[in-house]
Amino acid sequence: MKGLFNWIDDRTGIAKLTREALFESVPGGARWRYVWGSTLSFAIMVQFITGVFLWMGYSPSATSAWESVYYIQNEMSFGWLLRGIHHWTAQIMVILLVLHLVQVVIDSAYRAPREFNFWFGVLLLFITLAISLTGYLLPWDQKGFWATKVATNLAGVVPLIGGDLQKVIIGGSDYGHHTLTRFFALHAGVLPGALVALIVVHIYLFRRHGITEAKPATRAGALYYWCMLAVVFAALAVMAFIFQDDAKRWVPWIVVGVFSAIMVRIVFLILRGKDDDSARRPRRDGMFWPDQILKDAIACVAVMAAVLFFVFWKGTELTAPADPSQPYNAARPDWYFMSLFQMLKFSVFEGALGLVIGAIFVPSILVTAVFMMPLIGTSKIGHWVNVVMLYVLIGGFAVLTAMGFNHDANDEEYKLSVANAHADAERLNELISINGGIPPEGALTLLYKDAKIRGPKLFAANCASCHPHGGLDGIGGEVKEPSAPDLKGVGSQQWIAGLLELDRYISAEYFGNTGFKDGKMAGHLEDIEMLPDDIEAVSAALASEAKVHGYVLPQGGKEFLDRGFDLMFEDLECADCHGIQGEDEGKGPSLTGYMSRDWMIRFVGDPSHADFYGKKNDRMPSFLGVKQEDGTVKSGQLSRQDVELIVDWLRGEWARPGKSKG
Amino acid sequence: MTQDMNEQQPDDPERREFLAKAISVVAGGTIVSIPVGAGLATLVSPLRGEGQGGIKIRLTSVDDLPEDGSPKLYQVVAERSDAWTKYPAKPLGSVFLRKLEDGEVVAFNTSCPHAGCSVGFRSKEEGYYCPCHESKFLLDGSRGDVCVSPRGLDSLEVDKDRLKEGDVWVTFQNFAAGIEEKKAI
Repeated sequence: MKGLFNWIDDRTGIAKLTREALFESVPGGARWRYVWGSTLSFAIMVQFITGVFLWMGYSPSATSAWESVYYIQNEMSFGWLLRGIHHWTAQIMVILLVLHLVQVVIDSAYRAPREFNFWFGVLLLFITLAISLTGYLLPWDQKGFWATKVATNLAGVVPLIGGDLQKVIIGGSDYGHHTLTRFFALHAGVLPGALVALIVVHIYLFRRHGITEAKPATRAGALYYWCMLAVVFAALAVMAFIFQDDAKRWVPWIVVGVFSAIMVRIVFLILRGKDDDSARRPRRDGMFWPDQILKDAIACVAVMAAVLFFVFWKGTELTAPADPSQPYNAARPDWYFMSLFQMLKFSVFEGALGLVIGAIFVPSILVTAVFMMPLIGTSKIGHWVNVVMLYVLIGGFAVLTAMGFNHDANDEEYKLSVANAHADAERLNELISINGGIPPEGALTLLYKDAKIRGPKLFAANCASCHPHGGLDGIGGEVKEPSAPDLKGVGSQQWIAGLLELDRYISAEYFGNTGFKDGKMAGHLEDIEMLPDDIEAVSAALASEAKVHGYVLPQGGKEFLDRGFDLMFEDLECADCHGIQGEDEGKGPSLTGYMSRDWMIRFVGDPSHADFYGKKNDRMPSFLGVKQEDGTVKSGQLSRQDVELIVDWLRGEWARPGKSKG
Repeated sequence: MTQDMNEQQPDDPERREFLAKAISVVAGGTIVSIPVGAGLATLVSPLRGEGQGGIKIRLTSVDDLPEDGSPKLYQVVAERSDAWTKYPAKPLGSVFLRKLEDGEVVAFNTSCPHAGCSVGFRSKEEGYYCPCHESKFLLDGSRGDVCVSPRGLDSLEVDKDRLKEGDVWVTFQNFAAGIEEKKAI
């Protein structure tokens, strides 16, 4: 065994390499504040591991990206965990990067001879942000698509080369397959490659110069450090309470627990800590292995715990598939770009010039300032300039980010849009399982053929300028001036019964805002004075023609229905005007198959047809078009499929799990 | 002397070294630039092709537009090629249509000229609003009082002849965001 090892060592020099890697001296002993670099290395390693495995399930194209992510998330075993770790580690990495930067600056570790290492570190920060930005698009969901549209449009305002730059980035003038292939190549190939190369240099330089010895551990120094941690966790606790789930109320209390532990440590420091450094255990130089590595390992365990905590608490979002024609009022970048996004709202950044200044020049100046830090910080005053500059940057970042989130939290349109995107995604999951998979054209086609999702949107766009649906426009918006019957529950016995009550017939709920308010039907209802029993029988009979979703034969069965039909033929004289059960088509709308799917499609298609309102039709368009007297066809504004979707939605008929569409 | 020269001419070590260096550098540069060049040429290929241009599409009939001049949203679904895929019908974007008092119809692309978010219509404020950077646009598409966008909403061409026949045909197109000039992409 030893012989084998020696043989390998002789050919590779591995023993010396390992010794050099592990037995690095840590002047002043291992310290907690040195862990950030190691946690970052760990996080990057986690991203490489999870990223490669995600790669094995991912397919970058406009018709398969969302679909493959869906498959990873919902079908592959533990896919949710894999994707969750990748997603949340990316979030936490941004925080670790900032902590690492703060650490380096306050310990003035950028000073000679470590300038280059600082510059490489800043480059690494931007490469990491670029990896995050490109990764945000890859699921090709509404959220990533619209955020990336904004980001790439901002690339387009770069002076001189902007337009071409944007085209090269998105792979054409429109977003599609090549946007994904390019972003994926950047996200998984070019940028990680650059990251590795720079990390090698970064760590080589770090080892060349050794650890920058921080000031000796004093009570004041420790207090400063723990108080900073306390502030961070207080902020996290507040956020956890703001964004908490009703189902998981215990979650924020975990953060409160960590905060309390930090406070205990602070109190302990104040009461028991000694100002006199000599009273402390004398600090001897430590070794990287195992002194510092133990602390690093504990910190990495904490990072992993935080990642898993978010995976289980918040899950990993996948909104509805990208759809450029479906306005998404919640286009927002990931949280760490929110400050830049928010900044562009200010009127100083108005117009084309303002946009270039806000989106390109201001960030460039800030980046330059950070790059200059090693040159500024050569003197004591310079160092303090840097520290103040860094805190101002982080403060500005925090304030702008908070402003952005605060605006959204109070924006009803934003919240509605997010809720709709979630509802679409949820319904799509259901449709995929009903369908047993995703069609080759992509998941979006399932949504476009679904009455439950598409119906209300088509209704809002085409019907809701006159017809309300439960008082709203079908997708949660208001109807400005309702002028036609409310169609919620249309065809149900309840809805039909309401129509037969004179008071309600002539109210805005039904025909109050139409010409039929003073029509024959209203007059007839007044004349015959229907009894509640009659209304029940007739509405039951008509509802049996409609058979909307959830229809059940009433008590009394078929005989009860026959009583309703008899009333309509005889006492109530309905048959004088209406065709009923295929008999005697009269002048009024046919009640044969009343409100059945077929009846409604024909009705919406052409309400002016003799079977319906005929010439008395009041303003309702013929949505499928009509044949005119001269034989030409005047096309309507909807396709047959659209009308079917609206009708199916109104009738409550859409695919449901466990059984096929009726 | 002659012997010296004879010896030095062909075998000058400095000269030989220079030649060796030069040839290595040129050879190395050439062989690397071939794959890099091929890659870059392919990468920038989107710059060469013309954009797909505008798409003429019928959105609706004139009768369908509200008489009071308020805008109505239409989806643009059309045949479209995306790299290797040809979609029979693909949602491309959306358009606001508005009927003016004189019967003319104006069309706006809903894509915000600031950064490309989708602009919505707010009936209460009688104007358009972009939910990203809070830009407001007036009913006629021009910039409102609070508006960081460099230009008003992008109007689209409406076919006048077909409008007389009662149909609204629009040339759907996208325009570069973030600049003052309305430039088709």
